[in-house]
Amino acid sequence: MKASYFGCMAYAERHKFPAVWPVPPSYCDAEIAMQSYQEGIEQCEFAEEMGFDWISLSEHHYSGNRTTPNPAVMAAAVAQRCKKAKIALLGQLLPLINPVRAAEEIGMLDNLTGGRMVVAFMRGTPSEDQVYGMNPAEGRDRLTEGIDLVIKALSEPEPFSWEGRYYQYRTVSVWPRPVQQPFPPTIVATRSEDTVQYAASHRLGLGISYDQLEDVARITEKYNRWCQESGWQPTSDQIVYRGSILLAETDRLADQWLERLKPNLRERGTAVRPSVSSAVQAARAGKEFDQSKVFTETSQANQVRDARGLVSFIGGPDTIVKQLKAFHDQCGTGVMDLVFQQPGINHREVMNEVELFGREVLPRIKDF
Amino acid sequence: MENANLATMPFQEHRTESGGLPINYIEAGRGNIVVILDSIAWGFSNLQNTLAQTYRVLVLELPGFGSSPVNNESSSAKELANVVAQATENITPQKFTLIGTSFSANVALWLAIQAPEQVEALVLISPTALHPLEMANQLLAHPERSPGLPTLPDILAKEQELIRRFGGGTHDAEVEGRLNQIQCPALVLFGSKDQLVNTSATSIYRREIPNCNVSIVYDAGHLIEAERPEALVKAVVDYVERRETFVVNRDSRVINP
Repeated sequence: MKASYFGCMAYAERHKFPAVWPVPPSYCDAEIAMQSYQEGIEQCEFAEEMGFDWISLSEHHYSGNRTTPNPAVMAAAVAQRCKKAKIALLGQLLPLINPVRAAEEIGMLDNLTGGRMVVAFMRGTPSEDQVYGMNPAEGRDRLTEGIDLVIKALSEPEPFSWEGRYYQYRTVSVWPRPVQQPFPPTIVATRSEDTVQYAASHRLGLGISYDQLEDVARITEKYNRWCQESGWQPTSDQIVYRGSILLAETDRLADQWLERLKPNLRERGTAVRPSVSSAVQAARAGKEFDQSKVFTETSQANQVRDARGLVSFIGGPDTIVKQLKAFHDQCGTGVMDLVFQQPGINHREVMNEVELFGREVLPRIKDF
Repeated sequence: MENANLATMPFQEHRTESGGLPINYIEAGRGNIVVILDSIAWGFSNLQNTLAQTYRVLVLELPGFGSSPVNNESSSAKELANVVAQATENITPQKFTLIGTSFSANVALWLAIQAPEQVEALVLISPTALHPLEMANQLLAHPERSPGLPTLPDILAKEQELIRRFGGGTHDAEVEGRLNQIQCPALVLFGSKDQLVNTSATSIYRREIPNCNVSIVYDAGHLIEAERPEALVKAVVDYVERRETFVVNRDSRVINP
């Protein structure tokens, strides 16, 4: 199993955010933002030093919890400091952006990193359907057409036209060609069956985030079956899981830490108005949303869930190794993308955890 | 300026009375009620007509404005809001979506604060309640592009005089302090080249009204309906129908199926 460090580039004072998304830009102090990026890059650099195989970056919008609205820009900066690890865009929200532009960015990055790029494409959270005015009903089809277009744009040696359902470009001729031919390793991050099936039939990897072990196992079982039906078998690098981690020297210390973090463990600036959330879900399902039947507004932001349910992996090194092994054995997970930079955890604590993970956990999971 | 694809709705003229003041209004359409506070004399009917295809639209002229008789009774937007609240109660017991433009938007704001039981959604187009700039005749960003704008110097002068008397040209600190009491969803629209209101006002509405969206209409001055009518109508009609969920786009981007 490989370990991937998820570079959230989280804004240091995110605990001050309001409950709801989007977080107003007035919450952004330039000094703190600059410091947060420097700390985030330092964490990536240290993770590489401690033996992490991948450094991952995601695309998220209108909040400082993941301050990487354009992960390609962040990847270019991180790649200047991390010289060995794979740089993984996990992932670009392809339905929202111009796929030809995405292909150009990937081509550039694969050259700048000497062929170290891994790319993933995904729809994004329901709130992000609002970001660039996309109709949520069309997100899934835009994703799959977009992936087809990116791959064609990266791999086609001659200029071509694209007459799509959602995209029409009469001249596509992407420069530079990626170092990794025909295109860098590509993953589809999804949990919906039809998109998992798409990934399998297109010989693309699969990424799943935050779901429980049993649910991930169910999805990867289907993915593997569909891959087999399509006449291929994914490699271990093609099944990626992203989860959050709370690692301490012992289980007892991890539990004590969790107890202290409890009040702040739920990310702020993520809740969406229930009415808007319902409208997005209805649109994604292709249904009408009846505004006249909208329920009384109540913020979901402060609902307290079991804190343990908010963290994927908790414990001392032995326990964490067992938890990661379960994902490897039951889901075939070959790359574990880990979120250390959680709410309430500061830069120093992240660095301590990364050091401990590199010292006590990484050497043992490499053998899976 | 009219949308050629829509039928022209037959607005009927009516009059009611409130606080001893006669109030002119016109009405058309069926369905849920939309109340527009406007100066009927200016003749901007695109928004009214589009809304009247789906809603029962009541366009009330503020007493003293447009063609209505002189109003020496009222002295502030807050007072006028009471007059309008009573007038709408005369016409209908139902809740309504309330729309106001410029000074009328300030009255709408006060109405939503003082009579929350009447207002189920609020649309403020170019409100001047917060941080208005020096009263000027610069209502348009591009006067040269709006040859169809009605030239009504007498009515404009009369309305501007009234607005001055009602404190319309000065910052309303009291209303700013009560924005957080607005219980209904609200949309606030400004032209990106509005020269009558300091742009700092925009963020105050968004921050203080609990459920508020702000829309900036590109390349429009204070009179958005004169310069970017289609953009204004699209945003307002969408909001009246879907309120805060109008942020979720439902338009298809399919090029070829």
